Amino acid sequence: MRNPLHTGAWLIWLVAVGTMLTVTRNPIYIGLVLLWVGIVLSGLGAPEQGVGTPVLSPLRFALVVVPIAALFNALFVHAGETVLLRIPDAMPVVGGPVTLEALAYGALNGLVLTGLFAAFAVFNRVTPVRSLIQLAPRAYYPVAVTVAIAVTFVPVTLRQAVQIREAQAVRGHRLRGLRSWAPIFLPLLSSGMERALQLAEAMVARGFAAGGVQGGRGGLRTQLLLAAGTLLFGGGLVVRLVGKPLAGTALLLAGLAMIVGGIWLAGRAHPHTVYRAAPWRAADWAVAGVAAAGALLFLVAIPGIDRASLAWYPYPAFTAPGFSLMLVAATWGLLGPAIVSLRS
Amino acid sequence: MKRIQSGLSLIIFALTALLGVGAFLYPFWLPAVAQSVSAGGGMAHTADAALILTVIVAICFAVLLVEVQSEAVSAKAIALMGVLVAMNSVLRFAEVAIPMPGGFSPIFPLILLGGYVFGARIGFLLGSLTILASALITGGVGPWMPYQMLTAGWVGMSAVLVRVPLRALRRAGAASAGAEVALLAAFGIFWGFAYGMIMNIWFWPFAMGPSSMYWQPGIGAWETLQRYAVFYAVTSLAWDVVAAVGNALLIVLLGSAVLRILRRFHRRFDFAYIAAPMHEVQPAHSPPAHAPRGQGALAPAPMRSRA
Repeated sequence: MRNPLHTGAWLIWLVAVGTMLTVTRNPIYIGLVLLWVGIVLSGLGAPEQGVGTPVLSPLRFALVVVPIAALFNALFVHAGETVLLRIPDAMPVVGGPVTLEALAYGALNGLVLTGLFAAFAVFNRVTPVRSLIQLAPRAYYPVAVTVAIAVTFVPVTLRQAVQIREAQAVRGHRLRGLRSWAPIFLPLLSSGMERALQLAEAMVARGFAAGGVQGGRGGLRTQLLLAAGTLLFGGGLVVRLVGKPLAGTALLLAGLAMIVGGIWLAGRAHPHTVYRAAPWRAADWAVAGVAAAGALLFLVAIPGIDRASLAWYPYPAFTAPGFSLMLVAATWGLLGPAIVSLRS
Repeated sequence: MKRIQSGLSLIIFALTALLGVGAFLYPFWLPAVAQSVSAGGGMAHTADAALILTVIVAICFAVLLVEVQSEAVSAKAIALMGVLVAMNSVLRFAEVAIPMPGGFSPIFPLILLGGYVFGARIGFLLGSLTILASALITGGVGPWMPYQMLTAGWVGMSAVLVRVPLRALRRAGAASAGAEVALLAAFGIFWGFAYGMIMNIWFWPFAMGPSSMYWQPGIGAWETLQRYAVFYAVTSLAWDVVAAVGNALLIVLLGSAVLRILRRFHRRFDFAYIAAPMHEVQPAHSPPAHAPRGQGALAPAPMRSRA
């Protein structure tokens, strides 16, 4: 599938999926979110092989994680009325009744993990590393350049490792135990550092930081803002904990504003230009807007929406999970990428 | 001015460390969780707490990253870190592709040794960016990343602490040739366990299970510690023993050779372009009359060891 969406829109979609799955344990909502994520994932087609290919597909992940989560919960949580079998009490920790309710709740937790994994699998598939690095705020310019260099050098380093291994094998070297890795790792490290030196000289020759980059922290004012912001933010958390939520929230917000201000100020030290800017189109607004609105409905208490249905608990006996039509509709917003890809 | 900035740096390090530790322990004193769990329902509140925790850790990491990257503003530092992170990402790639026993991970020795040689800031960046870059290349970006990046950053950042006992040993004249590697290996063992313990804590208070090993609202600090110890012993100890032994083994086997390479390049990287008037850099040959002004001379910068 051609990816018609901006990386930022995908990021908002990802956050929306994560938020919905994190705040609920209602099997109806979880099932719907999984279904929509599955549809979006299947619309992407088969993954290309190479660096960046996920080691595990979401289906394989589910086949491993769901049974393990179910088993683990059933062995350790002895609540529930439908007893499947009983482990002798003499056995520490796992001793007691193994119930269907605990098994089901464990499987539900496994499904939540699978949903998160699948959403990240979608994000990994549709987002080129370079686009992701470009999304980094300007304040993190040195870090973004470092990650870009690292990602670029990984294939080179892999090739170099293979070459060194082959050269050592010709000399009769065989890999047996940890010590035998030294003749491969040490030349690899040494040649890598040599490449870093050459790269640094090439960067200087091309004028990198020639104007004297002021540093990520961008000076005294940035540091003051970050220090004061962190102090206020931490103080706000403490004040909330001692039972003054209003004052605590005010401090939290003030601290957050100062931290954002500090990061913005640090970013001003790095003027940012892009060779080919990715446009933000109407489809991006639609996908991001609908997904974000859906996530907000899951997060914020709004009159007329039954937020109690977000929580579901199978103990002591199964009860039918309730649902709110508004929250069901909110999950549909996650289908946005699939609809856009059909239209493009 | 520099003193004030260094002081502020220390304050930011301390505050973010405090906030980070507080974030990991936040659920222990979160009343909303206490109420919801004791009521036997309301898992939504528990999930809210997990979300709050992620936000706090992310903010803490964002602030710390702005502060530590002030070291990475030259082409040399960026190239050095980029290549080291690439090498460590390849090790993580190998770890993901070839299943290794228990919690054995080959990435931590290089993070520890890099942090020890190049200082706390580079150590933090090396740790956290290794997690980020390797997640990008293995398609492993996930919600666990803020926690992993912050904790791996702490691993690299704290490696400079090994210099303290080593300095004391040297002052007392008791430092043998292998003392440095032995201390680093001991630190590797410590982090083998500590990394697992820290990464457990972020989900442990929200997990449900038998009261002997899971957290419940209203229990005291000592009881909490006891239950966590049981949980850790049952679920993670064997895993982390392999991680700790693996760290120590790799450092003992490869540590001194890796330290030699890193130190050699630390010296080679430690040069600076110093602008000098033309008449000071042309003793041997006369420059052409049209030579550009402001040509710099290459001069070794004083060796420094940043902590």
